[in-house]
Amino acid sequence: MKLALSTVYCPHRFSNLFRPSVFTALWSPICSSELSSYSPTYVKPQFHVPLFLRPPIYSAKLCDLRKWRDWAEGVASSIGSSFVQSDNGPDSSILCRELKWLIEDVVEDHSQFPQTGLENGDDDDMRVKMRANLEELYGLWKQRITERRPFQYIVGCEHWRDLVLSVQEGVLIPRPETELIVDFVCDVVSNNEDLKRGMWADLGTGSGAIAIGIGRVLENAGRVIATDLSPVAVSVAGYNVQRYCLKEKIEIKEGSWFEPLKDMEGRLAGLVSNPPYIPSKDISGLQAEVGRHEPRVALDGGIDGMDALFHLCDGAALFLKPGGFFAFETNGEQQCRTLVEYMENNRGGSLHNFEIRSDFAGIQRFVIGFHK
Amino acid sequence: MSIFLRRSLRSRLLSSNNFKLFLTNYFDSSQTINHRRHFSDNLFHSVCFRSTSLLTENRCYGYGYSHRQHHQSTCRRFFASEAAATAAQRSTSDGLTVEGILANNWNILDDNESDWKSHASAVAQSIHLIKRRLQWKKLKVRLDMLSVQLNKADLWDDPVHAGNISREHGTLMGKVKEVNALEQELLEHIDMIKLARDENDSELESESLKALRDMRKNAKEKELEALLAGEQDSCSCFIEVQAGAGGTESMDWAAMVMQMYKSWAHRRGYNVTVIDEMPGEIAGIKRATIKVDGEFAFGYAKAEVGVHRLVRISPFDSNKRRHTSFAAVAVIPILGDGSSRVQINESDLRIERFRSGGPGGQHANTTESAIRIIHIPTGITATCQNERSQHQNKASAMAVLKSRLDQLEMARQAQLNSQHTQSLTDITWGSQIRSYVLHPYRMVKDLRTNYEVSDPDSVLEGDIDGFILSYLSATLDKEDSDA
Ligand SMILES: C[S@@+](CC[C@H](N)C(=O)[O-])C[C@H]1O[C@@H](n2cnc3c(N)ncnc32)[C@H](O)[C@@H]1O
Repeated sequence: MKLALSTVYCPHRFSNLFRPSVFTALWSPICSSELSSYSPTYVKPQFHVPLFLRPPIYSAKLCDLRKWRDWAEGVASSIGSSFVQSDNGPDSSILCRELKWLIEDVVEDHSQFPQTGLENGDDDDMRVKMRANLEELYGLWKQRITERRPFQYIVGCEHWRDLVLSVQEGVLIPRPETELIVDFVCDVVSNNEDLKRGMWADLGTGSGAIAIGIGRVLENAGRVIATDLSPVAVSVAGYNVQRYCLKEKIEIKEGSWFEPLKDMEGRLAGLVSNPPYIPSKDISGLQAEVGRHEPRVALDGGIDGMDALFHLCDGAALFLKPGGFFAFETNGEQQCRTLVEYMENNRGGSLHNFEIRSDFAGIQRFVIGFHK
Repeated sequence: MSIFLRRSLRSRLLSSNNFKLFLTNYFDSSQTINHRRHFSDNLFHSVCFRSTSLLTENRCYGYGYSHRQHHQSTCRRFFASEAAATAAQRSTSDGLTVEGILANNWNILDDNESDWKSHASAVAQSIHLIKRRLQWKKLKVRLDMLSVQLNKADLWDDPVHAGNISREHGTLMGKVKEVNALEQELLEHIDMIKLARDENDSELESESLKALRDMRKNAKEKELEALLAGEQDSCSCFIEVQAGAGGTESMDWAAMVMQMYKSWAHRRGYNVTVIDEMPGEIAGIKRATIKVDGEFAFGYAKAEVGVHRLVRISPFDSNKRRHTSFAAVAVIPILGDGSSRVQINESDLRIERFRSGGPGGQHANTTESAIRIIHIPTGITATCQNERSQHQNKASAMAVLKSRLDQLEMARQAQLNSQHTQSLTDITWGSQIRSYVLHPYRMVKDLRTNYEVSDPDSVLEGDIDGFILSYLSATLDKEDSDA
């Protein structure tokens, strides 16, 4: 029973999901009018509602909630920097901040406790309304620490740019670095109406992060097609697109890279992607949150991590229209250079104006350029 | 004065709803209109009434207040424009001026004594104090200067500058009008009382006396309002606290000070957001920045700028020795959109993320997305780590940076009391403003005003308005006597 409300079992992908139920309203606080239009196509096992959107049907005494918090804080503190040393994981201060955010997401009226978590209520017996019960909270925090389950999977969401995106096991948690791709697109379309009105593609969309970011940047002008091979990603992206009322603007298709884009050759105004780029041999040494919990298909980029990137470059030459823009995320300096070299040597006839851009940590992270 | 007395005086002031209401409403733009209208009414009313009373005294008398009110509404139309800020010396029908009342030094009795001279003297005192706090002479000079500039033909060639000029002109004009209106109202009440006495109309006399007594209370409240008349006073602000030397001991103290401000802001109904917090290794904070959102947050908080000193038995010292710790406080106003002093060029910025090492990107799962922005030409930096996305951290850090640059610019223009524009790096550890002693005795004392309180706990729980108000009045009054 413990997880009954956090997990909804759906025999068909969307049939139960969007059946009128106690959740219907909660699924779509941003946009509720379009829920019924998804039609069931095939089986998807589970769909998790982000914690902060679940109904506040539980309650706990403030003192018990504090007791849990103190326990969780104690556990977090005991970690010290041991995760950092073992695999560059979180230290206790990061874990404590995650705990604060977990409380923010789970307590219904968090404004009751405007300051550090739960200090403000004087009345120990006061009951606090919550979106998960205490037992579940103990379980979740144990998972965080002992299994190194990512915080974002625990709360079922990731704050990314100005968005709150639903994420769950099976979908890559969008990274802060990737936010910059949307900034690049923003810069490009701000002085190019033609591109702004065009068709954009986000390949390997995962949670739909980049596609949604771009969809908002394009405002009422252009459109976005987002593809992914993973059915879980496709359904989570669909849900996120729905929540931001972008269903009219962003089309999500299941399939491998350019395959769902047939007859779009030479028509794309822009192409962006954060494809899997980690070399296969590095997968086993990844930080536990990533290696043990995130989908391998979202990370493993083949022997030198460049399989998908090369494929995307070839596709860019073929699918972009003249003047079209592309931006790809890479593993770092080495991949950036290899990619630019590859394009200069093999796609120099159609692509040009290559540029390598760094992320905010100063690592050369992105290759951008244009179709001739 | 005993601590007890001060405290009770203060709590009386603060518990008065009126006081709060006035302070919050005073410069709220939506309210200002009402407020002005209220003042203007009095002003027009007095002008009208005085012109009638001088010219047609007999007719006017006998109809009492109701007639006057009727009359007032008709003549308002005629006097609306010129009545506004004429600085001509106002006097009662027999030549008594506000200065005259002050010079007479009439005894000020308790306000339930029905002696008009006492009330009049009290009101005149309040007006005098308000003028001092507004730095009346300087203000008039500035207003004249602004008027000259406003009349220049090429003013709007630089719309930003013109906007600033006309905004400031409007604000100062509003203050002048309010004070003029107070003076006018006082004289008018006196006229009325004298008139009633001459005519042996005891009903009118007691009515007028009551009006004067009401005015006395009102003027008293305005004295407090005048404390927050600075250009940035109504702004929201950032409060920054930094631990002094002394390791964990001071870091713990810095955290206590920050907590004091969070509670204070909460009591005042302000919204608090933690922007940046650098925790100490064992306890407390090395440094932190909070954003305090609400009217007059800066006006009050600026009184806290400086070094705060704590004396206590250290909870971190196993030998239970007495320790002295320091924490520095800086306060930065957040100027509203459009009144920002500086234009930031994207190309002047370097944006950095704290790098945890490792290749980042898909390799890393992290909830740490702190952003630091460096303004290359000035070297000023801002950091935010408290938001849940990098993008939002960047936006917050940008807001802090903007305010810091604004503050720098204001300091450069010396438009603010230099002390309030100090950034944390400027504050010298010598400039202690307040001492908190928990051992061997218990007391919090402001070293600038000597205001003191014997209950440090309540102070640390955010009850600091007494310190703030006493400091604000002391500085304003001092500035004036220096001038
Ligand atoms: C690193 S993740 C990026 C997800 C998302 N764009 C983001 O930035 O958060 C790579 C994505 O590519 C998808 N993917 C892997 N192989 C694919 C393929 N052959 N065709 C389409 N998508 C693929 C994965 O399912 C995963 O969602």
